Amino acid sequence: MFWQRKSRLYHKWLMLFVGLQCVIWSITGAYMVVLNIDYIHGDSLVKQPILNLSSTNVNYGLHQLYGEYPKAEEIELTLLMDRAVYRFSENKQRFLLSADTGKLLSPISEDYAVAIAKQLYQKAEVTINHVSLISENPPFELSRRHLPVWRIDFDDFASPSFYISSRTGKLVTKRHTFWRVFDWMFSFHVMDYVEEDASNKLLLIFSILALMASLFGVVLTYFKIFSNRKKNKSKPKAKPKSHSIVNSQSVGSNNVKGKEHNAIS
Amino acid sequence: MRLVKFLHKWLSIVVALQLLIWLSSGLFFNLMDHSKARGNANKVSMSQTVEIDHARLLPPNTILSQLEFIGDKQTKPRQINSLKLIQLLNQPYYLLNHKRGLYAHFYSEHSLINAYNGEKQIIDDAMAQALAQATYNGNGDVVSVVKKLPPLDDMLKEENTAWQINFNDSINTSVYIDASSGRLIGHSNDDKRFADFFFKLHFMDYGVMGNIGSFNNGLIIFFSLLTLLFCLTGAVWVVELLRKGRYKR
Repeated sequence: MFWQRKSRLYHKWLMLFVGLQCVIWSITGAYMVVLNIDYIHGDSLVKQPILNLSSTNVNYGLHQLYGEYPKAEEIELTLLMDRAVYRFSENKQRFLLSADTGKLLSPISEDYAVAIAKQLYQKAEVTINHVSLISENPPFELSRRHLPVWRIDFDDFASPSFYISSRTGKLVTKRHTFWRVFDWMFSFHVMDYVEEDASNKLLLIFSILALMASLFGVVLTYFKIFSNRKKNKSKPKAKPKSHSIVNSQSVGSNNVKGKEHNAIS
Repeated sequence: MRLVKFLHKWLSIVVALQLLIWLSSGLFFNLMDHSKARGNANKVSMSQTVEIDHARLLPPNTILSQLEFIGDKQTKPRQINSLKLIQLLNQPYYLLNHKRGLYAHFYSEHSLINAYNGEKQIIDDAMAQALAQATYNGNGDVVSVVKKLPPLDDMLKEENTAWQINFNDSINTSVYIDASSGRLIGHSNDDKRFADFFFKLHFMDYGVMGNIGSFNNGLIIFFSLLTLLFCLTGAVWVVELLRKGRYKR
């Protein structure tokens, strides 16, 4: 009985302090597991165009490129908006070049960025809400290494945004409401509201207290559901046995316990 | 209120074990050494010491038109998304992409062409081992090289066939190389495997009612919803106790 009373007391008081966080953990946890992570990442927003690079697209050769950009590295030849392009970096700066004419395409214009975004968007017909060029102070959802980028906001369900690098014309990342909410859920789940870092002291204290509170809860469950039930069942069985002197003592003590329990609940 | 108490008591039996697992694995993530858990203790970036001789490079057009003629013998030529000049073990290659996943770890298809002589390069066990050693600075030796189909136990998200190169160092490092592109998928070791075990527990990622490597499986969805109900009924109970003045001592 001692353990039951103590457990009830501790469970009650600890949960007054950590109960709200337990609710937050279960809400944020449920959100994160119920919504498919690929959907959250906006993978279904992107339609990859069918590309077919062929030698007829390329009239500006690699040796010409090296002639103009002798330190070019990480050279890639691909198609962008159905035209062959080179992507490469030189002295940590990224470049986009027409592989047809050798004309420099980077930094790309707003119209070009919008056209790329529209081609990659899952729906053929979509309205653009807002376009902006981000060169510094990226929003939380955008890594600094992607700058500078064009942000294209679509007028569609869950307010999707595409971020198109103005240096490479690549889709560097994407966001929509459910992903933004997911980020928010995650920071509440790990109790770091700034950096989403799971190794913070606040989380340490709350998880230890919540673990203790839950262990007391387990003790309560044991007494409430298993232990008491067993006793209730054993009572009628015990009655006929009370004739024997040897058993009467144990039955008696059982009854006392039962009374005590009734008094508490 | 009777229903709330009833639900809270009976749900506790169902969710108790998993709730304790969640809280203790959560506590583990809070306390674990994050740098160890990444599995990169013996990882270095593949450095290239030899510069590409631009004059010796075959023009990309030559490669493209070659492939247009050959193609696959029976079918039409394979689609080419991109051609990228890369360096593996100080040798330049053109990496052709035939099928591109949205991310590197999604399923994709590549072929590798020697950029100096145009020969197709297959990544065999010897090349995979050399690539792995180029990213490894531990003091172990290679004990085995195995080709593995996804899913990989150490790299659950990877969808591509990989070479697994195992080293006999104190933490049993394994290096994974994409078998079609030579891309370094990553390193794993016993420290990472230990942390991964807790992630498996936390995400209930047992391959039940869903694919392994996902926290969107049916099992965890079921338990998370029950736990949500469990916590809400508990919260209502606390509010009830407060209202009745049972928190006075």
